[in-house]
Amino acid sequence: MSDMTELAEPVETGHQMRDEIRSISDRSRARRQVRSRIMVVLCAIALSVTAVPLVLLLFQLFNRGLPVVLHTGFYTQLPQTPSLIAPNATGGVSNAILGTLVLTLYASVMAIPVGVLVGVYLAESDSKLAATLRVISQTMAGAPSILMGLFAFSFVVRDLHVGFSAIAGSFALAVLMLPVIVISSEIAVRGVPHTLREAGLALGAKPHKVSMKIVLPAAMTGIVTGIILAISRAIGETAPVLLVIGGGYINSWKPLDPVSALPLSIYENAKSEWPSLRTEVWGIALVLVVFVFVLSLSARIWASRKQQAR
Amino acid sequence: MDQEFMAQVETKVVVPTESPQRGAAAMQLKGVAVSFHGRVAVRDCTFDVTKNRVTSLIGPSGSGKTTLLRALNRLHDLTPGAKVAGQILLEGTDIYRGDITVTELRTRVGMVFQRPNPFPTMSIYENAVSGLRFNGVKKKSILDEAAETSLKSAALWDSVQSRLKVAASNLSGGEQQRLCIARALAMDPEVLLMDEPTSALDPIATLKIEELMTELKKRVTVIIVTHNMQQAARISDDCAFLLMGEDRAGELIEFDTTEKIFNNPIDPRTLDYTLGRFG
Repeated sequence: MSDMTELAEPVETGHQMRDEIRSISDRSRARRQVRSRIMVVLCAIALSVTAVPLVLLLFQLFNRGLPVVLHTGFYTQLPQTPSLIAPNATGGVSNAILGTLVLTLYASVMAIPVGVLVGVYLAESDSKLAATLRVISQTMAGAPSILMGLFAFSFVVRDLHVGFSAIAGSFALAVLMLPVIVISSEIAVRGVPHTLREAGLALGAKPHKVSMKIVLPAAMTGIVTGIILAISRAIGETAPVLLVIGGGYINSWKPLDPVSALPLSIYENAKSEWPSLRTEVWGIALVLVVFVFVLSLSARIWASRKQQAR
Repeated sequence: MDQEFMAQVETKVVVPTESPQRGAAAMQLKGVAVSFHGRVAVRDCTFDVTKNRVTSLIGPSGSGKTTLLRALNRLHDLTPGAKVAGQILLEGTDIYRGDITVTELRTRVGMVFQRPNPFPTMSIYENAVSGLRFNGVKKKSILDEAAETSLKSAALWDSVQSRLKVAASNLSGGEQQRLCIARALAMDPEVLLMDEPTSALDPIATLKIEELMTELKKRVTVIIVTHNMQQAARISDDCAFLLMGEDRAGELIEFDTTEKIFNNPIDPRTLDYTLGRFG
């Protein structure tokens, strides 16, 4: 008899536990539901706090910028200084648009080959030199961008006697882009599965062929994405070019000429005493935003298209 | 450290069984041992791989099957701290010290890996001829012919013939693995190493690869690592059984014809393993 009770007891306890758990669950349900609702509301508030400034900014940008950018003269003409007779004659910003394109192009030509090669080297080597380069590029990636401008000013403009020029500005932008490209290339190359290298080696390919023909193509998606992001970061930078490009009021693609740039025009126009020039700022900003948007959109499309191909 | 390792290897070399008389040897292993940073991973491997036969390496995890296989086309060369002792002969030439470059060795001894690893940025065609391209072959007629022959040998030609320019990643897992086999075959190797080639595949794809191996051994010597004892019994002619020793280093326990290893092994541990008593 005592044996029976001993056997029956655990079963009984099991049921008691189950009932107790259920009753606790029932009692706390209402409280948990309220808590859940509060969290949803908090999330909604956080979302709107984030979204409202962005929406306002975009509204302002298009509202004020669109009327400016709808004139073809805005793209084709050089800037003019308004006068009392013609207070609205602001000309256009063709020099700044061309300047930004030229600066970005030269900077890319300087930064991309070096950046990709260094990135590949960092991924493939575990030497002391590689470790040092890695620390340097990580530090550079976090450095304030005005520093690149100062460096370009003292080194290119002054020490090399190049003067205020497109090349000095591109140099500053290239230094800014370099760590971004190095880091993203290294990550992309490291992401290539080791088994692909081994497959290449097992076919009798020499190590450099494996790097160039297998690893680099497989890492290309990541590398290109990194390059595009580096360019879109550089294109909107004001500080590095502010000190060195000279703000030229001519259309020029020549490396040694002083040029202007979209961010610089915004900075200068915003300081102007002429209301018409200050209005133009929004148009310039809109063009710049469209540039950056197109770049990052193409980076995304490129990355996802390549992802699908795998 | 090195001397110690060598001494250890030399004293421990034993031929577990008399090699049965068969055809000529494609590869000969004499007291082969592999160590990483002085830690022995596998040792005491002495056996002959006979031409045009399938030799399987079986044994539980950690017994050094894959490590041994990778030594056969010097894939350990790039691993820091890796050391291969003993002798591995390919047609009588010592592959580590003899008159053969690592590149030549790898064109003569091909490798198929555990997971299908076609080159993702290349088409089916480019994958098939990639080894030839790496070795400087540029003539289109040679490449075309090699692609067709190797894809046919890998039983893939019929299904990919019309889409050779398509990315290799569009193929199914089993097809990708057969493409990897074709890629290795395009070099016309004497020996094909296969490291658990079906472990990532479904049963039907596995069966296809197994059928393929029986066909392949007519022109190439196959050495295959497998976890699957039924597979070893089904497809291999000779069988090497490895086991992890007390010091966690793998060693060769027994080498013989597959029939003998599975039906009438000398070492009781072999019997225990093939009967599924451990492992």
